[in-house]
Amino acid sequence: MKTQLEDGIALRASHLECHRGSGESRFKLQIDAIDLRSGEVLVILGPNGAGKSTLLRALAGLEGKSANKSIQKGEGPVTLVFQRPAALSGSAARNVRAALLGKGIPEPARRERLARALARFDISHLENQNAKTLSGGELRRLALARAFVLEPSVLLLDEPFDDLDGEGQRRLSLDLQRAIRETDVAVAMVTHDLRRALLLADRIAVLIDGRLAQFGRRDAVLEKPHSPQIAQTVGMTNLATGTVRRVVDGVRWIEVAEGFEIPTTAPVSIGEPTWIGIRPENLKLDIGRGEGQPIGKAVIESLVSDGLATVVSLRTQGLTFTTHLLSGRGLSRRLRPGDRVSLAVQPEHVHALAVGDGPIG
Amino acid sequence: MNELELQTIAEITIRTLWVCGCALLLALAIGIPIGIVLGSKRFLGRSIAVSTVNAGMGAPPVVVGLGCYILFARSGLFGGVGLIYSLTGMIIAQTLIAVPLVIGITLAAVGSLDDEWNLQVRTLGIGRVWRLWLLVREIRMGLLAAVIAALGGILSEVGASQMVGGNLDGKTRVLTTAIMMKTSQGQWEQAAGLAIVLMGLTLLVAGVLTVIQQSGRTR
Repeated sequence: MKTQLEDGIALRASHLECHRGSGESRFKLQIDAIDLRSGEVLVILGPNGAGKSTLLRALAGLEGKSANKSIQKGEGPVTLVFQRPAALSGSAARNVRAALLGKGIPEPARRERLARALARFDISHLENQNAKTLSGGELRRLALARAFVLEPSVLLLDEPFDDLDGEGQRRLSLDLQRAIRETDVAVAMVTHDLRRALLLADRIAVLIDGRLAQFGRRDAVLEKPHSPQIAQTVGMTNLATGTVRRVVDGVRWIEVAEGFEIPTTAPVSIGEPTWIGIRPENLKLDIGRGEGQPIGKAVIESLVSDGLATVVSLRTQGLTFTTHLLSGRGLSRRLRPGDRVSLAVQPEHVHALAVGDGPIG
Repeated sequence: MNELELQTIAEITIRTLWVCGCALLLALAIGIPIGIVLGSKRFLGRSIAVSTVNAGMGAPPVVVGLGCYILFARSGLFGGVGLIYSLTGMIIAQTLIAVPLVIGITLAAVGSLDDEWNLQVRTLGIGRVWRLWLLVREIRMGLLAAVIAALGGILSEVGASQMVGGNLDGKTRVLTTAIMMKTSQGQWEQAAGLAIVLMGLTLLVAGVLTVIQQSGRTR
């Protein structure tokens, strides 16, 4: 349904409902309202089976038949690039041209759009290659070129970086970012790669059990998740529950284990059961640099490096915490499992909400 | 062989090609759309339809011929139409033999595509007719296999042609029924001549289609 939307809104959907399966395995996606804005990337996050891909398909008009469903679109097509893009038989150029079939575009314009789409994703040199012989990364680029040749107003991407190596992901995300900036297309993207999502996202939608659990600006969702389950989904993995014991200079101290208190500036009341969340990058190993309020000691359980960052798992009084260090730096080289270290955190980096939004998953 | 016999062989060959060609075109026209629908849609009773097609692919031509004979005979349901001992009746019988082959192979070709192929093409905003064109293009190798199988089936069958056509001289005699007749009359030389023509036709058609198929694979 094409209709007049406010400036900047490329698609607005409401009352989306999709049903799958039956009995106990029955799944229901129910979205009251969601909108996509031109030039913005909305990243959809959620645990497996939350309905992320189903939501993309519903936005593309492929699923969902509820009576009062409404999808309002602006000018320009809405297209979806699937997790496993299909290659049509024939050359890469033929694949991209196929998207323009029957659209009444004169041949010179088609040629020009084809060349631009292939160049945009750096696959001009594959123009005459059989699409069925392309590698996974090349096929993904071809699928994006096929989508962009339509000059869409809305682009829906299902796991666009799936199966790509680190360098492939980095290059594709740069090309994608540039293409989005140049075309002002509204993008909704499902990905399980949190790091890549955080690089691209302007807004984040968190889906849990088929419902939109939280939807908002990137930083708001990352730093102030509404529930522990959302917190875990957006990478706020240090979670604990406790009770506010005291307030000192506007800082509330929450006891999460006997004698182990965590400070926060969040407006929670004394005596109120509270859950807290700290992003790993905000939990510091206290080495006397004054990077936050000291909160106690913990024992290192493991150190795992991906070459870029070292993930340090810590344990204290039955609580497990995680922090990140830059790999190859002095501290990450010196530390060993079993070492006892001091922890520190800035009170404003500790997110806290009254218990009641759901169990810590 | 004398000139008269050569003329007869040519006449029988042309009739054979006409009957088989018409039956093939009809079978493709009926079988491909049904195969595409069965291969791409999910609906109640689909598995029964697929089972019926699979059974039809292995149905003996003589049984199909018998069914047609019962229907086309003067006392049959379509007795008044005059299909018995006619080329039209033979074309119908051969179409019935070829249709399950075309449906079955088309269905398999559509089924071999990615589950989401149709959805992926739909999201490109391509209209229904162009989507169908893309699908046919995508399964063209399978369709060629259907043509080879169907043509092979009807070119070589004898049971239905004999029962429905009656092997009438100058009217419904085709290569297979003529070979049968000459063999039963002990005219081995003439039967062998007709068999060579039939084999030549089969090899020629199969060869042409295989060349097309192989060149298609490299594109």
